[in-house]
Order: sequence, then C-alpha cells, then structure tokens
Amino acid sequence: MVGSLSLRIVVGSALALALSLVIAPVAPEYYLHLANNLIIFAVLALGLDLLMGWAGQFALAHPAFFAIGCYGTALLNLKLGVPFVIAMPVSAVLAGLLGLLVGIPATRMRNIYLSLATFAFAESMRWVLNSWDSLTGGPNGIRISPFNLFGYGIINDIDAFPVIVLLFLMILAATIYLTTSRFSREMLAIRESEHVALASGVDVTQVKLKVFAISAVYAGLAGGMFALTHSFTNPDQFGFATSIVVLSMIVVGGMGSIAGVLIGVVIIGLLPEVLRGALKSIQIWQELIYGVILIAAMMFAPKGVWGVLRELWLKTSRTTGDLGKPAGQFEQDGANP
Amino acid sequence: MDALLQSVASGVVTGSIYALVALSLVIIFKSTEVVNFGGGDVAMVGAYVGLFAIVFLELPYPYAFALAAVGLFVMGIAFEWGVLRTVVGGVDPSRVLISLVIATLGLSYVLRGAVRLFNYTDEVRRLPTFFRAPPIFLGPVILQYQDIIIVGISCALMAILYVFFQHTLFGKGLRATSMNAKAAQLIGIPTGAMRLFAWGIACALAAIAGVLIGSKLPMTPDFGSQVVLLAFAAAIIGGFSSLPGCIVGGILLGVVQNLVGLFVSSSATALAPFLVIMVVLIVRPQGLFGGRVAIKKV
Repeated sequence: MVGSLSLRIVVGSALALALSLVIAPVAPEYYLHLANNLIIFAVLALGLDLLMGWAGQFALAHPAFFAIGCYGTALLNLKLGVPFVIAMPVSAVLAGLLGLLVGIPATRMRNIYLSLATFAFAESMRWVLNSWDSLTGGPNGIRISPFNLFGYGIINDIDAFPVIVLLFLMILAATIYLTTSRFSREMLAIRESEHVALASGVDVTQVKLKVFAISAVYAGLAGGMFALTHSFTNPDQFGFATSIVVLSMIVVGGMGSIAGVLIGVVIIGLLPEVLRGALKSIQIWQELIYGVILIAAMMFAPKGVWGVLRELWLKTSRTTGDLGKPAGQFEQDGANP
Repeated sequence: MDALLQSVASGVVTGSIYALVALSLVIIFKSTEVVNFGGGDVAMVGAYVGLFAIVFLELPYPYAFALAAVGLFVMGIAFEWGVLRTVVGGVDPSRVLISLVIATLGLSYVLRGAVRLFNYTDEVRRLPTFFRAPPIFLGPVILQYQDIIIVGISCALMAILYVFFQHTLFGKGLRATSMNAKAAQLIGIPTGAMRLFAWGIACALAAIAGVLIGSKLPMTPDFGSQVVLLAFAAAIIGGFSSLPGCIVGGILLGVVQNLVGLFVSSSATALAPFLVIMVVLIVRPQGLFGGRVAIKKV
C-alpha cells in the first residue's frame, strides 16, 4: 500500500482536510451544501466508473445500493440507536453484499441485457422502498435525525463538511490504490475482451463479482454520506434519474480515469446551478439543454472532457520518440488507449 | 370469472400497444444493435403531435395518425443521420455501443424538454375517443369501441410490417442488414440507408403507438419513461431479436399485469414488469422466441 500512496498524496490530503476545517465556519452555507452534494456524487461516480469505465460492465443498479446505504444508515440510527461511525460502514457492507448478489447472475449477461436487468433491479428496489411503509415510510420518506460523531453533533452542512471531506479523501485514496493495482489491469482486460482475458489467466467471474461488490460499497458509502448531510429522504432520490445523472457525469467527464470522473461530476453537478443563475426563463429549457449536452458529448467528445484534454496535451507535447514522431502518439495509457 | 375475462381482454388491448413500442425498439436493435432508451419519449411526442393535429389543425383522426407517423419518421432519420453517424465515426467500434445508448438517452431528454417548452403541455391532456359508440358486450366481457380500434390498428400495423419484411426487397434488405451488416454490404445492400430507414420506421411505429396511448391514458410529457419500461419488458419476454416475439411478449405482459392487479394488489402492477424482466433475463435470456444463446464470432 505504501508503494502506491506517495508522500505527496498523504501530505496533500492532510492539507485538504486542514483547509476544509478552516473554510467550513466562514464559507456561506449554501456553497458548503453544494460542495457536500458534489462530493457525494463524486463517490457515486467513482464507484460507477470502476464498474463501467474500468471493467466495462454496463450496469444500472447503482441507485439501489445508494438507497441501501442511505436508508440503512438512517434507519439503524433511528430505530436501533446505532451511531453513525458504525451505521455507515455496516450499511455500506450490506450494499456490497447485495452488489455481490446482483453480480452472481450479472456475470453471465452481456451488455444490453445486463443494463436492462440491473435497471429492473434498481426499480424493484425503489418499489420495495415505496411499498414497505412500516420500515421505510413509503413514498413519504423518512426524516433523518442528526447524527452524533464522537459526541459532536452534526446538525448542518457546516458541521458535516470536514467529515465529508475526510471520508472523500479516504475513498479517493482507496480508489487510487485500486486503479493502480494488478486488479485494475484485470478489470481492463475484461473490458477489452472477456475471452482473451480468460485465456490470459484472469479469473473473469471472480473479478466481475468483486467489481460489482466494490462498486456497490461505494454507492453505499455515498448513501451514508447522504444521510449525514440531509434531514430527509424518500424513494424518489434513488430512481432512474439518479442513474442517468451519475452516468452522464462519468461519460461527459471521461470514463476510466479518476480525474475525468471528477471533472464530469463538477460539470454536470454545477450545471443546474449555472442554469438557475442565468435568466429565469432558461429554467424551462433545463431538460432540453441537458439532453443536448449529452448528445453533443457523445458526438464530439466520446472519451469525455478528460479525453479531449489529453488529446490536446498529446498533440502539443514536443518530446520526440525513437521514430521522430511526438512520443505521445505511441503512448498507451493504461485506462484509455 | 367475469373479472378474470375482463382483465384478460383489457390486458390484450394495453398489451398490443406495448407490443407496438416494443417492435419499434427491436427493429432498431436488430438493424443497428442500439438500444433506444428514448423510444417511449418518441411515442410521447407522437401523441402530442396527434393532439396538435386534432386540436389546433382540426384534422380528422386518421390525419393525426399520419402526421405523427410521418413527422417522427423524419425525426428518426434525422437523428440517425445527424447524431448517431457522428457518434459511430468518433469512437473505435468496440466501445461505440455505450456512446450510442447515451446518445439515445440524450434524445429522450431533448424530446421531453422540447415538449415542455410549450405551455400547452403543462396540463394533463387526453386525446379524444375515436368515435362515441355504446360498448360491445362479448359474453361477460365489456369492450369499448376504442379498445377494438386500438387492437385493430395494432394488428393492421403488424400485418403491414410482416408483409414488408417478408415480401418486399427493402424489407429483406433490412433483415439482411440486421443479420450480418458486413455480409449485407458485400452483397451490395446500402447498409447506411438501411439504418436510416430502420430508425424512420421504428419512430413512426412508436408515434402511432403514442397516439393510441394518448387516446386511452392521460398524457403528460413524462409518460414516455413508463412506456419505454413496459416496452422493454415486452421485447425481453419475446426475445429481444424477434419481431413476432414482441407481439406475444407485449400481449403476455399486458395480460400478466392486469392479472397481477386482480389477484395480488393494484400496487403490485408497477412491480410486475421489473420482476418479469429480471426473471426472464436470468432464467431464459433469449426470451420465448430467441434462438440458442450464441457467442458472436469475432
């Protein structure tokens, strides 16, 4: 582990955390609220990217695990008095187990059927949330009581911000570790061709199951973070619309790279704010603009904004390789050849 | 027993509409391997175009159908030509599918957003019934004229499609393209034109289905997402690559939905399509009519 996490990263994280502690009391609460939401979506997006961008599995079950993380944390606290530091990991593990369960039939399915089956699963989960009134409060949702962190109450976005940042940094570190390990190469091999991967000695089924589970854990953690920063939730949060938002974040930003995903989160996450800030009359165009952005991204930047940036960098880099051509043209990046 | 028969009958009616949208999805999938997540919203736009024709242009019903079908035929072709061809050109073929699917998601948002621009769509609307007539009594079952016409139009469309695909050169060309695009190209079939036409036909089909839906259910700009889900379920039951499968799948789904509503509870009807999708994909992924699940040769 020490090999992949350089000193730079550790120091950088510590600085970021310190910064968040300093910023929190002075920044306007709305911005902190935005930042918290962006970070939650970043966790969701990183998880989905592992599954879709790295392992190439087009699976849309994410909202179900998000829901388990959120409802799980909230209900464990509400009904059994479990503190947040235990409730969140427990719900995340539960989400991971469910992800494993979903993975078992999913490893046998190809692209399109996989997406439809996992979509059906996510919608079934939402139906369960809507119907199991006694546990989940049905369509009316549940009020989440504020959590206590080691005796320190988290009542608003200001209190939550440093905690969210800390959690995010840990998750980011884990992601960096995952994406530079041998596991990441196995995922890429599966993405490119399952048969070749199998022939090369990759245990395709095992890797797929692990990715499903890990991706679900990410969503579960995001759910726990959501419970920390919101005082109310209901099943509508966990529907197909959320799937599409997270999907567009990773696609517009750039699948298969952490930087790309984070760029996508910022772009798509801040889009409603930008549109809201513009003319009032623009609001009615929101959906239309969103659709146009998706289409334009697919037409002109299929590898995402990060892909575009990297192409620009490769083209303008002046170093030449053995054959007299710019070295960039022969460079094979692990994530996006 | 009466309730059972009534459920089955109305299930057949709604099922035939699902079948039409499912046909739209499968035609596109077979010809281009793209899953059109925007299929339901195409139907929705078709319904609103029909509404526009009847309310504002005061055209009689058949013209409303024609206008919706032609309008969305053109839109389908424009989308494949303007958007999808660019998407396909930009990425290496192994990873183009996900980009295409997201483009169809974008289409669904664009269609919804465009429809919402008109204030007229803020209220829930309904298309008028085809013509007012007393219901027909078939034993214990009560059938509205409306329903009979819906089933009639669906059957007529399916018959037309059958003749088109089996007996016309163009239709055979489309089938050839969907079986093996490279081989079709080698024979001289213009696969590019075939893709355009497939999108056009599929969108026209969805538009007509939309008008039919609009005459039966309340219309809002959001009904596309519900419709597309049921259409997917229908297509999956029938086997995603089989046209007759869609029809059987659609009618089965409609009937099963109503039976679930009758015997279990009305809230369970929403769950039925999801369960159906998951069960079929796990137990028999090729659906009722698909062939053996084969690995595509590289």
